[in-house]
Amino acid sequence: MLTRRRFVGYSALSSSMLAYPSLLHSAFGQTSSAQRPIRLAILGSTYRRGSDMQTIADRFLTGFPYEGGWHMPNVKVASVYVDERIRKASAASNEFELAVTGRARRRQQGPPAQGPAAPADPKRAPDERWEPIAPSSEEQGLTNDLSPERARQFAFRLCHNIPEALRCGGDRIAVDAVLTIVEQCNDFPYATNDKAQVLLPQYDFFEQCAQVFETEKHSVPYFNHKQLSFSFSEAEAMVKAAERLKFPLMAGSSMPVTWRLPDVDVPLGARVQEAVMVGVGGLGTMDFDALEALQCMLERRKGGETGVKSVQFLQGDDVWAAGQAGRWSKELLSSALSRSDTPMGLTMLDGRNQDLVGDGVLPQLVKDPAAYCIEYTDGTKGTLLMLNGAIHDFNISARLAGQEMVSTQFFMPPTPNETYSACLAAKIEQLYEERKAPYPVQRTLLTTGLLEAFLNSRHRLNQRLETPHLAVNYQPPTESQYARS
Amino acid sequence: MAPNGTPAKRPRLAGVVTSYKKLLHPQQVIDRFLDGYGWHGTYHRPAMDMVSLYVDQHGEGDLFKERADRHPGMKLCSSIEEALTLGTGKLAVDGVVVVAEHGVYPLSPNGIMMRPHYEFFEQITKVFRASGRSVPYFNDKELSWNWDWSKKMVDVSHELNFPLQGGSSLAVTWRVPSVEFPLGAVTKEAVSVGYGGMTSYDFHGLETIQCMVERRKGGESGVEWIETYQGDRFWKAHQDGVWSQALVKSALSRSATLRPGDPTFTNIFPTIEQMKAMVPEPLAYHYKHRDGLISTMILMNGMVRDFTFAATIEGQAKPFSTQMYLPMPDGRTTLASFFSPLVHNAEEMFLTGKSQYPIERTLLTSGLLIEGVDCARKGLQRLETPNLAAVTYQPNPKSTFWRS
Repeated sequence: MLTRRRFVGYSALSSSMLAYPSLLHSAFGQTSSAQRPIRLAILGSTYRRGSDMQTIADRFLTGFPYEGGWHMPNVKVASVYVDERIRKASAASNEFELAVTGRARRRQQGPPAQGPAAPADPKRAPDERWEPIAPSSEEQGLTNDLSPERARQFAFRLCHNIPEALRCGGDRIAVDAVLTIVEQCNDFPYATNDKAQVLLPQYDFFEQCAQVFETEKHSVPYFNHKQLSFSFSEAEAMVKAAERLKFPLMAGSSMPVTWRLPDVDVPLGARVQEAVMVGVGGLGTMDFDALEALQCMLERRKGGETGVKSVQFLQGDDVWAAGQAGRWSKELLSSALSRSDTPMGLTMLDGRNQDLVGDGVLPQLVKDPAAYCIEYTDGTKGTLLMLNGAIHDFNISARLAGQEMVSTQFFMPPTPNETYSACLAAKIEQLYEERKAPYPVQRTLLTTGLLEAFLNSRHRLNQRLETPHLAVNYQPPTESQYARS
Repeated sequence: MAPNGTPAKRPRLAGVVTSYKKLLHPQQVIDRFLDGYGWHGTYHRPAMDMVSLYVDQHGEGDLFKERADRHPGMKLCSSIEEALTLGTGKLAVDGVVVVAEHGVYPLSPNGIMMRPHYEFFEQITKVFRASGRSVPYFNDKELSWNWDWSKKMVDVSHELNFPLQGGSSLAVTWRVPSVEFPLGAVTKEAVSVGYGGMTSYDFHGLETIQCMVERRKGGESGVEWIETYQGDRFWKAHQDGVWSQALVKSALSRSATLRPGDPTFTNIFPTIEQMKAMVPEPLAYHYKHRDGLISTMILMNGMVRDFTFAATIEGQAKPFSTQMYLPMPDGRTTLASFFSPLVHNAEEMFLTGKSQYPIERTLLTSGLLIEGVDCARKGLQRLETPNLAAVTYQPNPKSTFWRS
C-alpha cells in the first residue's frame, strides 16, 4: 500500500530558488487599501489552469465578480505552497542516483543543453544567475504549472514547505490567514485506496499549520476547500484542534453558497420530512459537493442538525427498487428534476421536454445509478441520487410538513469562469475579515463523515451502517448564506 | 394530450410557425404546449390544447410530423386559415401561437431577414374579422422587420380588441440575482451587454433594457434619437465615455461567461486592449428617451455569451445590475428553459384573456432595432426617431419574470 504521508519540505532545494524577486508587477495589481491588507498564505496541490487552486487562488490575486462589481479583496497573497511541485522534485532522482545509474554521465556527453541558467545567455541579468537552482516546472514535467509565473507577476513567495509559507522565510508567522485547496493532481496523483478514496493530504496540511500555530502561540483563520479529510476521525481532530488553538476554521465546497434557480431556501425552523438531491459525477468527487448542498438545506430544519443515525449506499437496480419501496420519494425526484436544464435522452435527440420520472425513462438513461440514503437522528430522510446519463446539473426538492415542497437548482455556471467559486471566495474573505466563519465547520465535518460512511457502506457490499460517530450537532446560521445579491 | 371529451373550458390553440426543427423557436414554444415543462417545482402540463399547426417551411429535420403522431389532437394544416377555422369556415380556436423566428426568408434592403410576422398577422386577423371574433394572440420575438407593419399590428390589436403579447424571453427569464427594477425609480442611464450581432441578438439586448427601464418614474416616454456604433468608432465612444464605462463594468461583473483576456487565467476582468482583441465586431445602439434617460445596448460578441444589465438609480450609490440568465443549449444545457417563462406568460394570457406585459414594449424594441440598423446603413452619426417618440406606455406593475 502506498503511503499518503508526503515528504514535505526537507528537500535539498535552496529556499531562495522559488522566492522570485518581484520582477514584474501585474497590470491588475493587488489593492492598496486604507486598512493594511490581510496577508494570505495559499497552500494547495496543483496550480494548473482549471484546477480548484488556480480558480480560487487567482480570485485573491485579480479580484472576482461580486454584487455587481469587480471586487478586489483587501488581501495580499504573501506566499504559496504547491505540493505537486515539491513531491515531483523530491521523487526525482538525486545526484547520487544519477551518478550510480550512469544517467548523469550520459547527459553530460550529450550536446550542450540550452539550459535556463546558461551563463552565456546575454538576456539574463547577472544578478539572476542564482535563481534557477532547482528544476523548473518544465524540467519537472509539470508543463501546466502556473505558480512560478504567478509568483513573478504578483510578487509572492513560492515556498517549498508549509512552515516556510506561514513564516514567509522568517522565523515567525508572517501571514494573517490561510487558504488550503487540496485536490487530485494530474501529473503526480495522490494514491487511491480500495474504497475509492483519494488519500488527499488536507489533514497533513492542517497539522503542519496547527503545529506552527501551537509552537508560536499564534493562530490565524483557516479555510479548507471541500472535505476536511477522507477520514472522519482526522476531520474531527482538525475541528478539535481549531477549537483548542482558538482559530476560526471553515471548510466546504461552493455548491452551498452559489446562486439558486429559483432563489429559495428551506425556511429556518421548518419541519422537513424528506429531501431528494440529484446530481452527477463520480465517487468521492461531486458527490461530496452534492451532499454539502443537501446538508446546507436540511440543517435549517426545526431543531437544527442533530446528526445522522445510519447510511446506506445503493447501486444499480437496487436504487430503482428503493424508490418503488418508498425509501426515497419519486415525487421529490420528479420535483427536483423539474428544475434541471439538462435532461438527456430524447431531449438530446430532438429538443423535446421530458418528465423523466413520469415517462419512466430513467432506468434506460442511467446505466449505473447510485443512491446515498441518509437517516437522520430526528427521523428526517435525505437521499442523494447520482444519475449519470439522465442530467448534468444539481437540483433538490424537499418536502416540508403540510406537503409543501421547496425545490431549486444549485446554479453551477460554466467553465472557465466557474463563477460559483467567486461566491465561495466572498465567504472566505468574510472569514478572514471578521475572523469568524459565516457558517459552521460542523456542516463539513458531517458531510466529510457522510462521504466516508457511504464509501464504507459500498465497500461492505452496500450494507446499511449505523453511524453513532456522526452524532454531529450544530445550529445553522439564521441568515441564508448563498449568493442572492 | 387532447383526447375526445376534453372539457370545453380548456382553451384550444392554433400554432402558426415558420419551421419546426430541433432547437428552433417554434419547436421550443409549441413543444412546451404539447409535452409540458418543469415549472414551479413540478412537471407542468398546460391546461390547454394545441389543436392545429401550420408550418410555413418544410425540409430536412422537420419534427412536426413526429409531434402530430404523438399528439393526435393536433391537426397539421396546409394554410393559416385552416389552422384557425379547422375547416368550419369560421374561427374555431381560443388562442393563436405565432412563432415566426427562424426559417429562411429574403433579406430587406437594410439586411434584416423579412420574417413573416406581419404576413401571418394579416391572415390571422382576416379570420378574426370574417368571424366577428378575436382571440388572444402570442407573437414570439419582434413584431415585424418593417416599422409601419409593426405599428399596424399593434393598432389592429387595439381595433379588434384582442390581447397581443410577445417579445423576447430575455424579459421573462431567470435573473441572477433575482431582482426587479424598482417601480417608479429615477434612472439616468442604463446599459445591457450581450452577444450575437446586428439583426440577430440585438433584439434580445434591447428587450433586456426595456423590460427594466419601463418601470422607471413616469413609465416609458418614447425615444427621441438613436446612434449606432461599430468598429473603431465603438471603442472610441467607449473610451470617451459616450456611455458609462462604470455601468459596462457593473454589467460585465454579472456575466458568468466572461472570456479571459489572458489565456492562463479563468476569470479576470479584461483591459480595453484585451476587449478589442476578443471583440472584432462590437455594436452599440445608444439612444435617448424623451424623459432624458440614455440607454445603450451593447453586443460584445466573442467576449461574453450572456446578457447582463446595469443602470444608475437615484439615491443608490452602486449601480443596479443583474444577469438575464439564458440556460443556452449550446453545450451548457440541453433545454432552452428560458422558453418556459415565455410560454407560461402566454398560458396566463390565454387563461385570463389579458396581456401579461404591454405589446408597446415590443413595438418600441422592434422599432429600435429597425432604426439602429437604418442609422448604421445610412452611415449617420445620429438618427432622429419621431416614430419611436410616440411609443409611450405604462408597465405592468407586477413582475412577470421567472422567479419561482
